Amino acid sequence: MTAPALRARAISKRFGPVNALSDVDFVLETGEVHALLGVNGAGKSTFIKILSGVYRKDEGSIEVGGEAIDCRDPKEAIRHGIATVQQHPELVADFTGYENIFLGRESARSGLFSRIERTDLSRRANALLKRFPVDIDLSKTVAEMSAVEREIVAILQALAGDHIRVLILDEPTSTLTEVEKTVLFRLIDTLRHGGISVLYITHRLEEVMEIADRLSVFRGGRMVASMPVADVKAKNLSLAELMLGEALEHVFPARAETDAIGEMVLAVRGLTAAGAFSNIGFELRRGEILGIFGLVGSGADELAKALFGAIPIEGGSVVLKGHTIAPRSPREALKAGIFLVPGDRRVEGLALTETSIFNITLANLKRASGAAGILKRAGNRTASGEFAARLALSPPNLSMPVSGFSGGNQQKIVVAKGLFAEADVYIFVEPTVGVDIGARAKLYGLMRELSRTAGVIVLSSDCDEAHGIADRTFALYKGRQIASSDGLQTRNQLLMAGIMGELHRD
Amino acid sequence: MTRTFTLPAGSGRFLAFLLLVVLVAMAFTLAEPRFLSTQNMSAVTRHMAANGLAALGLTFVVIVRKFDLSFAGTACFAAMTIGYLIALGQPLWIAIPAGIVVGAAIGAFNGVVISYFRFPDIVTTIATGSIAAGLAFVYSNGRTIFQNFMSSGILDLNDARVFGYSLSFVFLLGLYAVAWFFMHRTRYGASFYATGENPVAAYYSGVPTRLYTMLAFVACGVTCVFAVLLILAESGTADTNEGANLLMPAYAGVFLGTALLGRTSVMATLAGTFLITMLLDGFSLLGIPFYYSDGVVSAILLAGVVFFDARLREFLSDIGSFLQPASVKKEKRS
Repeated sequence: MTAPALRARAISKRFGPVNALSDVDFVLETGEVHALLGVNGAGKSTFIKILSGVYRKDEGSIEVGGEAIDCRDPKEAIRHGIATVQQHPELVADFTGYENIFLGRESARSGLFSRIERTDLSRRANALLKRFPVDIDLSKTVAEMSAVEREIVAILQALAGDHIRVLILDEPTSTLTEVEKTVLFRLIDTLRHGGISVLYITHRLEEVMEIADRLSVFRGGRMVASMPVADVKAKNLSLAELMLGEALEHVFPARAETDAIGEMVLAVRGLTAAGAFSNIGFELRRGEILGIFGLVGSGADELAKALFGAIPIEGGSVVLKGHTIAPRSPREALKAGIFLVPGDRRVEGLALTETSIFNITLANLKRASGAAGILKRAGNRTASGEFAARLALSPPNLSMPVSGFSGGNQQKIVVAKGLFAEADVYIFVEPTVGVDIGARAKLYGLMRELSRTAGVIVLSSDCDEAHGIADRTFALYKGRQIASSDGLQTRNQLLMAGIMGELHRD
Repeated sequence: MTRTFTLPAGSGRFLAFLLLVVLVAMAFTLAEPRFLSTQNMSAVTRHMAANGLAALGLTFVVIVRKFDLSFAGTACFAAMTIGYLIALGQPLWIAIPAGIVVGAAIGAFNGVVISYFRFPDIVTTIATGSIAAGLAFVYSNGRTIFQNFMSSGILDLNDARVFGYSLSFVFLLGLYAVAWFFMHRTRYGASFYATGENPVAAYYSGVPTRLYTMLAFVACGVTCVFAVLLILAESGTADTNEGANLLMPAYAGVFLGTALLGRTSVMATLAGTFLITMLLDGFSLLGIPFYYSDGVVSAILLAGVVFFDARLREFLSDIGSFLQPASVKKEKRS
């Protein structure tokens, strides 16, 4: 029996208190395309970074072709035949394709004074390219190339070492169109037949079915499954279930009583923004929470920002409490009564070196100040203190820069800012990313409380969250709204809608 | 204490600043007993007025995290405008506002192209500053203007005294008090700070960030005219060199103040300017040529910037972290 191209045994990696990887066993056969699946933070990035020499493993062993290796840096990994193409390949934009391919190894015997022979480089690059069923002009600069051409240049660059046995592709299709994807898949197919093993990381399940021979699923730093793709088809397994695991029902508050649902707060019709989403429509009533499940790239973040006036809309209407609104900036949206709890609170939500009071009052400085714009310092401190108490802000220190708070407490400050802004509609984007479980329950409880007086929309890439908190849900898939007419969907329906873009009836 | 002086890092920094002032004053007094004389102190306060006014507008620009390198040129053009109008026989109430309009207009131009059209701040303000300095030569082909200065009354600005202090120093303190209140006690000041601290979060909070960035440049353009006005009043002539010496002390005042008090603020600039002016005055009293004292003050400015720059601070603390146990470093990596 021949040794596999790559074998990893009992790999563990810790970052401080966090177990990024625990006890991972992995086998990559020669000439197979092996898909690596898992949600963000599942450990697949850490795993490939260990394989490619970026990180060092804490425990375990790695063999390439039966020989144990221990790579200290990416260069050493390449020497052992493991090459990696990053998600966003680092190419020199002003250099031609062939110059990029041989960057740093222009000549076989490269010395300080060896000349770079352009015609020779070009000839060698084209010879390399000829081995694959793709045709691109390598004399163009990378800046002039399309996304797939860049990806091919990056792959050729990785393969230029000649002795490469394992090629790691980190989400290679994330920027490619459907047509471009087939070009890439043709190239991968040729590699497979040439005996090169490809480790393929992706979020897109349909690609796995199309290109991969085997797949492995990561969840919470562990490898939870590894099997041939044929088995998934044969046994009708749910990869999404494997990736996401079981639900955390108990952190969510009770759903709204039917009689608690009141008048219409927000009605959205045919909302469209170029390249992000199209023809989105929903209604939001007081007393209920609308959950929208959408993965990265589904248009969920854009939808929230469009409603908040931060990105322009092309068509459709938004009616807030009976008045048609078309906010062209967050300022106008806030005036109209919409508040966004943004997905990236450190970049979009907080002035980190400022105090809690400063941040809480920022979205409604009119309320925070009296005549001539003079700040009501005592009043603002009292109001902020009340919100801090209501949200169990910890530590309850209002004068400390918010950079000193934990993620969960920073999020509470953003929410308090929304409460101070006194909006009619609250839009939460990824409300619990980086928030610990205790603070999560608190935030969910507050959303429910808010929904009694205002409309609440929660957009999340966590299906359990979108389903668990909301009374009604729909999914976004590549900018399309996937919803059943009654808006009542089971968790699995919502999950499949958001991951596959199809509505299944149980 | 903290809230009274808006010192987030605590009043310790303020006490450290006072201690530094006392030490510097003691050192100069030991070397030259005349340092503490009334005459010298009055000179310090007068010089401080011009530096402090230029630094005040710059403070606004630095708070919105931009740079303005044009205000020396702007001040020069405004000075020649005022001088030209005085020489034409125009009264001060026309000449001075005309100079202020020049400063505001150049500031507004900087602000609009930098905030609304996203021009790079440093290159833009170097260009506009050079153009303004060039335009200053247009009125008199570069010759010094002095006609009508004696009779115009502008010299009174230098000589007038209020409550025993020079008018210029009282004006400085008054303007700083207004600026402090505006910046630290009103919603508009909060908006300036939010714009500088995190423009995206500020925009998402409904703050018109571009407008505030623009206004900061206008403030800088206007206060540098105030500064040069005091210089005009002191020298009694308008020269195409006017204002050229404002740039370095203003930056030194803002950044040294920031380093001393922990963040850029109106009070920090006042503190920084006071220290810088005291140093410059002390050196000149000791007869140290300006090219040495400028070098020393600029070196202090550089030190202040090093302390102000968060990345540099982080870099320095990273060097320090090599001395820490390995486990700490490991956590840092995650």
